[in-house]
Amino acid sequence: MTNDNSLNFYSIFKWVIIISFVVYAVFPFLWLVLASLKTNAELLDNPFKLPKVFQFQNYSNAIQEAGLIQLIINSLVISTCATFLNILFASMCAFAIARHIFWWKNVLFLMITAGILVPLNALIIPYYAIINFLNLYDTRLGLILVYCAVGLPVSTFILTEFFKGIPKEIEEASYLDGCNFVARYFRIMLPLALPGLATAGTFQFILCWNEFIYAMLLTSSTEIRTIQFGISYFTNEFFSDYVGMFAAVVVSILPSITVFILFQERVITGLTAGSVKG
Amino acid sequence: MKIKKDEVGWLLLFIAPTLILFTLFFILPILFLLASSFTNWDGIDAEFVGFENYIKLFNKKSFVRAITNNLYWCITAALITVPLGLIIALLLSHRSRGWKVFRTVLFVPQVVSSAAIAMLWAAVFNAEYGLLNFILDNIGLSDYKNHNWLGNVRTANAALIGFSLCYVGYFMVIMLAKTASISEDYYDAAKIDGASQIQKDFYITAPLIKSTFFLCIILAVIFNLRQFEYVYLMTAGGPANKTQVLVVYIWNELTVQRLGRGSAAGVIMIALGAMLLLLLRRLLKSETYN
Repeated sequence: MTNDNSLNFYSIFKWVIIISFVVYAVFPFLWLVLASLKTNAELLDNPFKLPKVFQFQNYSNAIQEAGLIQLIINSLVISTCATFLNILFASMCAFAIARHIFWWKNVLFLMITAGILVPLNALIIPYYAIINFLNLYDTRLGLILVYCAVGLPVSTFILTEFFKGIPKEIEEASYLDGCNFVARYFRIMLPLALPGLATAGTFQFILCWNEFIYAMLLTSSTEIRTIQFGISYFTNEFFSDYVGMFAAVVVSILPSITVFILFQERVITGLTAGSVKG
Repeated sequence: MKIKKDEVGWLLLFIAPTLILFTLFFILPILFLLASSFTNWDGIDAEFVGFENYIKLFNKKSFVRAITNNLYWCITAALITVPLGLIIALLLSHRSRGWKVFRTVLFVPQVVSSAAIAMLWAAVFNAEYGLLNFILDNIGLSDYKNHNWLGNVRTANAALIGFSLCYVGYFMVIMLAKTASISEDYYDAAKIDGASQIQKDFYITAPLIKSTFFLCIILAVIFNLRQFEYVYLMTAGGPANKTQVLVVYIWNELTVQRLGRGSAAGVIMIALGAMLLLLLRRLLKSETYN
């Protein structure tokens, strides 16, 4: 489509823009990885110079001192459970809405999806009170419930739109054959909707893994703490160990980047699905 | 599908978990927030105080500062970040070699947690070992040697806004995805008419993804209204409340147990969000013809 005359002004402009934004987005990460392999003394020197010896022990130090393993396990457990529950509940609700006729279904769908637009961080005080009232302060279950709930509007929206796009014939045939409600959901709908579940699940997992403010608000003990809140402690605890902090940050971002690289097509279709409605 | 009488129970059961959690974590908190905003609740006792919290908040310089800063974030995102995203989306929509790689790479900051991004950029802006000062020093701007970007009253907000440009990739991906739905016929016709690439981009592609562009502006405004981590971890609202934003303000009220006052700030934040959304819908609707 392009190659009309590939050396004109516009295509030079194009590559300058693209390359400079790629540098802007990625260069700090590369600097971070390089810095995490230096000594604190080398860090204050030329940032582009390679370290004399790659200090891999920065990573083992960070892992030991900050208990990174425990933080990662906490984050994994909480994110996985919250994602599983979220997708289960949202897909059940989406199945009910997308495939059945009842008079209040549009109201229900509108209400839940309107939740996408609520600036949830305004609600930290009520969340704090509700979680305390439920006796779930400083528990994994508390965070799982909150993460599961805050992602429901987006997941329900993505899954409902996805379910609506699946042809009805198979389901109707099974309905006539006497397949009941639960069986239609588990045996017909879920297998056909796997790509949709993967999309919504990827979004939800990244949301849970990256969440910071509720983790800080609703937990206090180190055994429960998630990695995002955990790494922020580096700014207080080890004032001079910058390279240790960098190593911890690198460890914390690896899982979400891995999930994204593996499921990037799903993430991008999910974004498009969300933008169809406008 | 019509519901059989004996399946109504199942239907309700399938909706119940989502509905219960939605009520518990969306509807109830908003009502709770509204109610406690009229009290002097401190975590133990609560007395009705009418509009006192609201009056006090609007008389506080730091709170007004937080609102204007949030608006400042929203406006920058809508007028700079999203349009830049549009330009990059147009350029990548040529689908020339390697476009998928660039798309992926530019999207990466979006999947990394805000906490990690905040710590990363705080390090870039650091006075002693920061990357930015080193680069500036080496291109001859030695005035900035050891300049504390985030701690200086004059540069703190500019630094925060500057770093937020690393999020162009998110809006770019949404708009780029929309360009895939444009029929090839338009471009073929333009080619016959002898249109250049730049004309195709700005007279065909851009108008056809206008609705998505507007959607991105709405998303940008919502995200920048509720943002917390960057300011909290990079400047904590300082220096001298210069970079204060609403959620950090609410957080600070929470930590000193002035929960009534914090709730009032939350109500104002939600009201502000609703007003901005209505305003944007009106502004942008009059622009779309379809």
